[in-house]
Amino acid sequence: MMNGKTNADYSVSAVVGAIESEQPNPGNLAALLSPAAKTLLEPMAQRALSLTRRHFGRTITLYTPLYLSDACSGGCRYCGFAADRKRPRRFLNAEERQAEMRAIAAMGIQEILLLTGERHKSVDIDYVETAVREAADLFHAVTVEVFPMSASEYARLVKAGCTGLTLYQETYDCDIYAAMHRWGPKRDYHARLAAPEHALQAGMRNLGLGVLLGLAPPVSDILALASHLQRLRRRWWRAGFSISFPRIRPETGGFQPPHPVGDRLLVQIVLALRICFPEIPLVLSTRESQILRDNLAGLGITKMSVASRTTVGGYQPEYAAEPDAGQFHVNDQRDIDTFTKALQTKGLWPVLKNTDAIYREPLSSTSN
Amino acid sequence: MSGTLVLGGHTLASRLLLGTGKFADTAAMLEAVKRSGSGLVTVAIRRVNRQHRADDLFEPLSQVPDLVLLPNTSGAMNAREAVLAARIGRELTGHGLVKLEIHPNPHHLMPDPIETFDAARELAADGFSVLPYMPADPVLAKRLEDVGCAAVMPLGAAIGSGQGLATAHLLRMIIENSNVPVIVDAGLRSPSEAAAAMEMGCDAVLVNSAVAAAADPGGMAEAFADAVRAGRRAFQSGIMGRSDTAQATSPLTAFLNRPS
Repeated sequence: MMNGKTNADYSVSAVVGAIESEQPNPGNLAALLSPAAKTLLEPMAQRALSLTRRHFGRTITLYTPLYLSDACSGGCRYCGFAADRKRPRRFLNAEERQAEMRAIAAMGIQEILLLTGERHKSVDIDYVETAVREAADLFHAVTVEVFPMSASEYARLVKAGCTGLTLYQETYDCDIYAAMHRWGPKRDYHARLAAPEHALQAGMRNLGLGVLLGLAPPVSDILALASHLQRLRRRWWRAGFSISFPRIRPETGGFQPPHPVGDRLLVQIVLALRICFPEIPLVLSTRESQILRDNLAGLGITKMSVASRTTVGGYQPEYAAEPDAGQFHVNDQRDIDTFTKALQTKGLWPVLKNTDAIYREPLSSTSN
Repeated sequence: MSGTLVLGGHTLASRLLLGTGKFADTAAMLEAVKRSGSGLVTVAIRRVNRQHRADDLFEPLSQVPDLVLLPNTSGAMNAREAVLAARIGRELTGHGLVKLEIHPNPHHLMPDPIETFDAARELAADGFSVLPYMPADPVLAKRLEDVGCAAVMPLGAAIGSGQGLATAHLLRMIIENSNVPVIVDAGLRSPSEAAAAMEMGCDAVLVNSAVAAAADPGGMAEAFADAVRAGRRAFQSGIMGRSDTAQATSPLTAFLNRPS
């Protein structure tokens, strides 16, 4: 629903107007996500390509995730790390972290994303802070996708060298959210919604938002995400924002998404967001297939993970043969050389270093 | 202003400056630089990657004969970070010419006038030749000149916007009042806009997106070079005045011609 309209109420001419809009509004986004837009994916793609090229040039920024731990107190129905999944739990000790980070750095990667599960007695703020500090010595950009924290905890990460937080609301639908998150701190919808602002208060320079596609009706979730983003941008005008749209992948628990999102709808979402947010980086991970990644690179998508392992310790040779054992099944398993060559073949520059360690100061609040 | 442009002690034959981000690969970037004829290209410190040559902008450009590299501080959100980046740039290039860019919002990339002023003052006092990217604000232009900037770089429009000389009337005020070179930076989409900026009397233009995002970046670099030369030549040759009405009669002042 947007301005009293349902998703089906948008006409083809409303979609055409939205594609050409110089100043897109929420109604334009709703039109681009509507069924009427399904027949206009090609003109949407043309517009998205042109806007992407104008704002990002022919470049794709690369990063690699490092799963620090799969120990998790959470009860997310869809996640392979949920506390009721029977699996050996581990978290990396200092020596293992070094080995993993060095393996990632050896690929030439300059941006690392550190991940954990929910807060756990052995994986707490001290642990994450230490890992950030270690990574900050090896990488120009260190970002985290970890359990929600207080502003003072986020401030410790910023001080340790962290410049970005990825935190997905998963779904903006309160009822579905409650059904999906069975126990633990993540059950609190509003606490999770507030966490990005805690990070921004702490001076975090970049914030990645997203919804986990498959949990709830996707169009309303994307519209809610856009509205969340707009609200944050007005208040935290110095922060950089990015958007991800992870689709639920098969995991060891066998969860079946109630609202599966097919390739055509995913592409429609990417194009719609690019047209309505021309300057915002759009991120696509190795959850997606090689063919989808290669074709969306530069067509809206401007930032991509590469050579990901979602198993803890996955960058060590002894775990490399277990691509299915992690948080989710990695779909695009190409190594960095193969993937960067694929981007180059498409006329895109795979940017490994797009920031510098000297740019790590906390962003100042709007009040000064 | 005469034929050549001098910035930070470097004499430049071309008045086209090129940005080096946004290209598809090193070869496309180098070809665009070559065909632009530019003697001064800017490189973001954040895109200097000494550990991975294929991703590095600095090394391949530093191999180009007679090309001066202008490090820029893009990515800095405040004066402190920009000053640090400028110092790294000086170490890399061995000269003190720096393009000062401070954009506190990473999406619209508009320059922060307050932080830019603070950093410019500090860097100029430290001996840098500072080229500040700035809003098209005639007062700020004079304030930056006063603290010792080697040139000013007002924006034609937002970076990457392709909106052309949206700030034309402010640029004219800056040009009229400036004692240092005025370089229009950002927003230009087509060579005709670059020519228009030069006809207006600005000393140089800097282009990146319009070249890098073109279907044929090398061809577009050449087109911009031609346009900049033509615009400069036109400015030097004295462009005739514009009038909305024909000049045949002078009904309002004809009475002055009556015999007394």
